[in-house]
Amino acid sequence: MHAEPNQPLSIETSALVKRYGDVLALDHVDLAVPRAAVGLLGPNGAGKSTLLKILLGLSRSNGGTARVLGRDAVVHGRELRMRVGYMPETDALPDNATAADFVSHMAEMSGLPRRAARQRAADVLYHVGLDEERYRLVKGFSTGMKQRVKLAQAIVHDPELVFLDEPTNGLDPLGREEMLELIDRIHRQLGILVVLSSHILDDVERVCDYVVVLDGGRVVASQPLHVPDDDSADLHVRVDGNPDPFLDTLREVGLEARPAGIEYSSDEFVIARRGDQTLDAIRDAAAATGSPLRLLRPATRSLEDLYVDSVGVGANGARGNGRGAAT
Amino acid sequence: MSASTGQYGEIFDRGYLHYGGPRLGQTHAVWALARYSMARALGIRRPWTAKIIPMLLYAAVAIPVLIAVGIRAFFPAFEFLDYAAFFGAIFLLVGIFVAMIAPEMMSSDRHDRLLPLYFSRPIGRSSYVVAKLLAAGLLTLSMSVVPAVVLWFGNGLLADEPVAALRDSLDDLGRIAVAGTMIAFYLGAIALMISSFTGRKSIAVGVIILGFVLSESLSLAISEALRDQPDLARWTFAISPSRTIAAMVGQLFDEPDLAADIPLNASLGVMAVVIAICCVVMFAWYRRRD
Repeated sequence: MHAEPNQPLSIETSALVKRYGDVLALDHVDLAVPRAAVGLLGPNGAGKSTLLKILLGLSRSNGGTARVLGRDAVVHGRELRMRVGYMPETDALPDNATAADFVSHMAEMSGLPRRAARQRAADVLYHVGLDEERYRLVKGFSTGMKQRVKLAQAIVHDPELVFLDEPTNGLDPLGREEMLELIDRIHRQLGILVVLSSHILDDVERVCDYVVVLDGGRVVASQPLHVPDDDSADLHVRVDGNPDPFLDTLREVGLEARPAGIEYSSDEFVIARRGDQTLDAIRDAAAATGSPLRLLRPATRSLEDLYVDSVGVGANGARGNGRGAAT
Repeated sequence: MSASTGQYGEIFDRGYLHYGGPRLGQTHAVWALARYSMARALGIRRPWTAKIIPMLLYAAVAIPVLIAVGIRAFFPAFEFLDYAAFFGAIFLLVGIFVAMIAPEMMSSDRHDRLLPLYFSRPIGRSSYVVAKLLAAGLLTLSMSVVPAVVLWFGNGLLADEPVAALRDSLDDLGRIAVAGTMIAFYLGAIALMISSFTGRKSIAVGVIILGFVLSESLSLAISEALRDQPDLARWTFAISPSRTIAAMVGQLFDEPDLAADIPLNASLGVMAVVIAICCVVMFAWYRRRD
C-alpha cells in the first residue's frame, strides 16, 4: 500500500446520497480510502456500480460530496477524468475495429497526441498480452481477450487510478487467474492505483490491500485487508505428536484451546489470548511437555469472516455464503 | 533496456514506461472523435464490405460531374449539368449517404455501449454531440460541395480565358458553398438526431430514408389540401427536406421552377431552425439523465 503522507486519499466521500426514484442506492456514504489497491465488495444491488459512476462523473449524486485523488468529482470532473481510467462491466467494445485502432482512439480521447496514442496503444496491448493480436478485429476475440482490450483502454493514457468494474466477469478459471495477475501487476509494478469492484471475495482478496464493503447502499466495512500484527487476536498453535499433554498443561493455567475448524489442519488449535502472558504460557507448556511447537501465529480474520460479519447471512442463506460469489 | 546481448542480436525487455508527454484539451478530443467517426463511417480500417456503399455513393455523385466536365471540354457550348441541376439531383444521393453514415456514427456507439467509455474521459456530453455533428457535416460536405466545386473549376478552366472565367464566376462559388454547406448540415443534423434514439443501425437507416420520402409526400398532400389557401399552402415546404432544399437551390441559382415562389430567407431560415432543433434535442438526449 502506498503511504506517502502528502498525497491525497484515493477516494473521499461525505454523506453521499443517490436515489433512483424511491430506491435509495447510496445512503449517506462516508469513505476515506487510502492510496492502495482497493476492493469494492458487496452483493448485487449494494451500490458498487452507482458509487463508481458518481466517482467518474457519469452519474450525479443527490447529496454529499465525492473527491477522487483530492479533486471534487463534480467541480473538477474533466480534469479528474484525464487522470483516471475505467473498465466497465459491460462488453463495451466496437466489434468492427481492431484492438490497436480502438485503444489508440481511446488514448486520443484522453488527450494524447495521435502519434503518442498509437505508440501507447501498442505498448499497453503488449503488456496485457495482446501484442500479436492487436491488428485483428475485436469481434473475433474470446471473452478473455475482450476483457484485456477493455483493460488496455482503461490504462492506455497512463492514469493514476483505474476503476475496474467486475473485470473477471465471464472468464473461465484460467482467464480469471490471468486477469487477476494482470491487475495485480498493474498495481504492484506499474504503480497505478486500482479500485476493483467485484462480488467475488477471492478476486478482492487476491489483489487488494484495502476493502470497502457495501450493503444496501451503506458502507458496512472499510478497512485494510491484511492486518499484519494484531496483539489482541486469538492464537493458532500446532504441536507435533500427541497434543493432549500440551493442552492439559495450558488448561491448568487457565487457557482453553479449541479445534481451529475444518478449513485448517486437524491438529491445529485456537487459544483465546488472555493478556501478555499467553505467549509465555504456551512456550512454557510446550517446553514442560516436550511438545515441539510447529505453529504459533495470530488468528487473522479472513475476508470471508469480514464479509459475513458485515453483510450477514440471510435466513435463506443467500448472502455471504462462501468464498465464491458474495451473493 | 537490454536484457542480454548475444552473437545474433539483442533481446529487449519492453518494460512499462509511464507517459510523460503532453495531454491535450477538449478541442483535441472533439477532433479525434470526429476524425474517428468519419473514418468508421467510410469503412476505413474496416472490412471491405463496410466501404462499398460510401464508395458507390461517391462514385454516383462524381461520375456525372466528371462526364459534364468532359462533355464541356469537347462541346463548349453544351451545358450537360448546371449547378441547380446538380444540387437538385444529389438530394437523393446525399439523403442515402447521411442515412448510411449517421447511424454508423451515433447508433453504433449506443449499440456497442461505448458511451460510458467516452463520458468517463475528458470529453463532455455536449462536446460528444458537437464532434458527431462536425463529423457528419464534414463528411456530407464532401458529397455536396466538393463535386460542385470540381464542376465550377472545370467550367472555369475550360473557358477561353480560364482566369477571367473563374474570377467572374466567384459568385457561383459562393452560392455553391452556401448550398452545399446548408444541405450537409441540414440533412446531417436530421439523420444524426434520428440515429441518436436507437442502437440499431438498420432501424435508423430505415427511419431516415422513409422520413425523407414520406415527408415530401406528406408536404405535397397538405399543400394540395390547402389549395384554396395558397399563402398557407406555400409554407408546407418546411416539413419536407427535399422541397426545402429545392427551394433554396432554386433561389440561389435562379431557377424559378425549383424555387416555387419561396423566398431564399424562408428556406434558409427553415433549415437553420431545423438544425437548431436537432441540436437541442440531441444535447437534451445526451444530457446526464440520472
